Amino acid sequence: MSAVPGGAPIEPETPAGAVRLAQRRQALPNGWWAMALFLCSEVTIFGTLIATYFYLQFGVHQWPPAGIAPEKVTDPSIATGALVLTALPMWFAARAARMGSKRTVLGLVALALIVQAGYFGVQIALMSHDLQHFSPRGTAYGSIYYTLLGAHHAHVLLGCLLDMAVLWFVASKGLTNYWLTATRALALYWYVINGLAVLVLLTQLSPSL
Amino acid sequence: MATVVSPRGQRYVDLLERVWGERKGLVGWLTTTDHKRIGIMYFFTALALFGAGGVEALLIRTQLFGPNGHVLSPAAYDEIFTMHGITMIFLFVIPMTTGAFGNYLLPLMIGARDMAFPRMNALSYWIYLASGIFMYIALAQGHAPNAGWFNYVPLASKTYDPSNNIDFYGWGLIFNGISSTAAVINFIVTIFKLRAPGMSLNRMPLFCYAFLAVSFALLFALPSLSVACLFLELDRQFGFQFYNAAHGGAPLLWQNLFWIFGHPEVYIIILPAFGIATAIIPTFTHRKMVFFPLVALAEILVAFLGFGVWVHHMFTVGYATVTTVYFAAASLIIVIPSAIQLFAWIATIMTGTPEFKTPMLFIIGFIVFFIIGGLSGVTLAAIPFDQQVHDSYYVIAHFHFVIFGAAVFPILGGMYFWFPKVTGRMYNETVGKVSFWTTFVGTFVTFFPMHILGLMGMIRRNYTYPAGLGFSTLNAVETVAAFVLAGGLVSIVLNLLISYFKGPMCGSDPWEGDTLEWSTSSPPPPYNYAVIPTVTSPYPMWDKADRELDNRRLERGEGVFALGHRTPGSTVQDAEFDELLKMPPHSIWPPVTAMALAGVFTMLLLGHLFIAVGFAAAIALALLGWHHRGSEP
Repeated sequence: MSAVPGGAPIEPETPAGAVRLAQRRQALPNGWWAMALFLCSEVTIFGTLIATYFYLQFGVHQWPPAGIAPEKVTDPSIATGALVLTALPMWFAARAARMGSKRTVLGLVALALIVQAGYFGVQIALMSHDLQHFSPRGTAYGSIYYTLLGAHHAHVLLGCLLDMAVLWFVASKGLTNYWLTATRALALYWYVINGLAVLVLLTQLSPSL
Repeated sequence: MATVVSPRGQRYVDLLERVWGERKGLVGWLTTTDHKRIGIMYFFTALALFGAGGVEALLIRTQLFGPNGHVLSPAAYDEIFTMHGITMIFLFVIPMTTGAFGNYLLPLMIGARDMAFPRMNALSYWIYLASGIFMYIALAQGHAPNAGWFNYVPLASKTYDPSNNIDFYGWGLIFNGISSTAAVINFIVTIFKLRAPGMSLNRMPLFCYAFLAVSFALLFALPSLSVACLFLELDRQFGFQFYNAAHGGAPLLWQNLFWIFGHPEVYIIILPAFGIATAIIPTFTHRKMVFFPLVALAEILVAFLGFGVWVHHMFTVGYATVTTVYFAAASLIIVIPSAIQLFAWIATIMTGTPEFKTPMLFIIGFIVFFIIGGLSGVTLAAIPFDQQVHDSYYVIAHFHFVIFGAAVFPILGGMYFWFPKVTGRMYNETVGKVSFWTTFVGTFVTFFPMHILGLMGMIRRNYTYPAGLGFSTLNAVETVAAFVLAGGLVSIVLNLLISYFKGPMCGSDPWEGDTLEWSTSSPPPPYNYAVIPTVTSPYPMWDKADRELDNRRLERGEGVFALGHRTPGSTVQDAEFDELLKMPPHSIWPPVTAMALAGVFTMLLLGHLFIAVGFAAAIALALLGWHHRGSEP
């Protein structure tokens, strides 16, 4: 290939080349930037949802409305705590990806996926339980409560699907530059979704706090 | 390259031609990931929709030609003026500026061979096209959105608008927003990471600053609109209560969410126009832009401050004085960065040697209209005055001077300016000047009397007015002028169309422009540049030594990167060479993914949730196919 300014040719076609590139690169890769910007948009969406929650709350005398008990603190807090802890395996997975350790990446992402999927299952069960007591159609409180939680659960589901895609492609294609960057972007996705989980939890529990 | 290439350099050019050659025919256009082809597709789609929006405008004006008009029924009038607003804002101006001008020019101006994510770029276009069709199916069915482009509840609620007119609006704008979000992420990463080595941020053209600012503004503004529309559809289709005051909801929630998007949107519309102006003015004044760093900062500041003024659209809803005064002050503060740019343009023109070719005339027209629209905007920041003229034709006059006069005139000037680059041919200058004056006079006479009508009390959105109120003469004049304006716009299209076939060949740099796109052939080759250009200032085409250096580098094969579909990636701030990016050549997955997404939104509109989930699964499968041979990041 052509000479490039400032050093040897860089060909990240192979996992070894991808690792060399990841270690030599000064700026963050394009895929990481794209994920960061996508997450800016998603964080703004959650900011809007949370602002709506309090905007609606400030407009009424009783929140939650009469007949709806404030949310219990324990179960969603434990579930969210478990989800937040998955930032650790994701961080180590991103680090392992930069070092080219495919097996470590696969193991850590799979571990995180198990916990994240478990969180998703628990949250769906909690939401089903809530639905037996109040509906999104009855009051504006119900509407924003389920929309906020639903939006977050949808992002967790999307993250689990992304986990599975990364696992599949890294296992079958190896840690090429594309999938190395994808692993780093996935880790970033989970850091932000975990942070949002805390904000959503605090909003959800605010009447009980 | 612009200059004669030696046999040795030609070897590299031939290699690049082979590597970057596009597929021919319809399949080539369907699967293209070339930013220039995508820009051209954006251009023609946006132009067609501009035509549709223009016909709607003429229908409105014909209806209002005289008192008690019967050209349109009240219901048809509601649909037509709503579609006019939606079309011009969401389907014409934004796609034309960011989609067409941004796509075509931005990689060229920064010395890149494509956008950072070429397939995502194609996906943005196909989603935009599908969302435009989605909206216009509504009009064809006679169920077009009919509650105005800002679609206030409770008028837009199921109770008062029970058919699916509003559902086309709600789902259509979320659908369209996906396209814009994907596009602006692509723009930001392209600007950050694909600038030619040497083009540090302080050497980046002001055009690119404007597009960077608008991309960030869109990224943070669109979520508010999408959430507002989601709430609306949850209310309308699933019985939620976001906007229903009887169940704890708040109709004003819609207005807040809409205008948190809607006012930045005004700057989103006009910032690319600023960018086009800052590209045209130095070229035709033959001097560098005055206050370059201040203008760059002002462009970014306008986008930022635009998020803090939304309540000035809501001065009549009854908010506390302390709230409205804050937003009035913020609305006045935003004048400062706008005025910095205005003075910079005027100072550049006055201290240069201006050449009044057609593109420059359109920029002069833009400055005139921006001053008029800007000043009337300042009057609307005065709370008592705003409360007096709220919902009157004064407001219509103000925003048409801003949105049509100030935002569209640079687009028209830009069409003339870059026509030689895109086609390799020159337009007819005499017809160009005639088209300018026709459009200029048509615009002024159509919209200026609306100030007077508004002050006289003529209310917007009414399908007619009775005789005897003194509105008739000015309305008749406006209608005639609107047809003159339409004639001016048609003459521009005809001039460019005929010139495309019969215009004289014009070479690579007919204007002696200052930015990099003028260094490559007209039209540019698929790989844009045989050598990734050397950049040492914000006016690279005026750095003759650098261009000669590029020719010598081509001889040596330096910076050619001919072995594969590649472009350099650089560091964000200083644009130091960082890596060689492998770009995907062409792909069928973007249109396939967009079609599946269109399926999702159509099924949501029709209330078939399970089928919508099926289409979502189809998107997942398409994305698996997409990533099967991934090479972008």
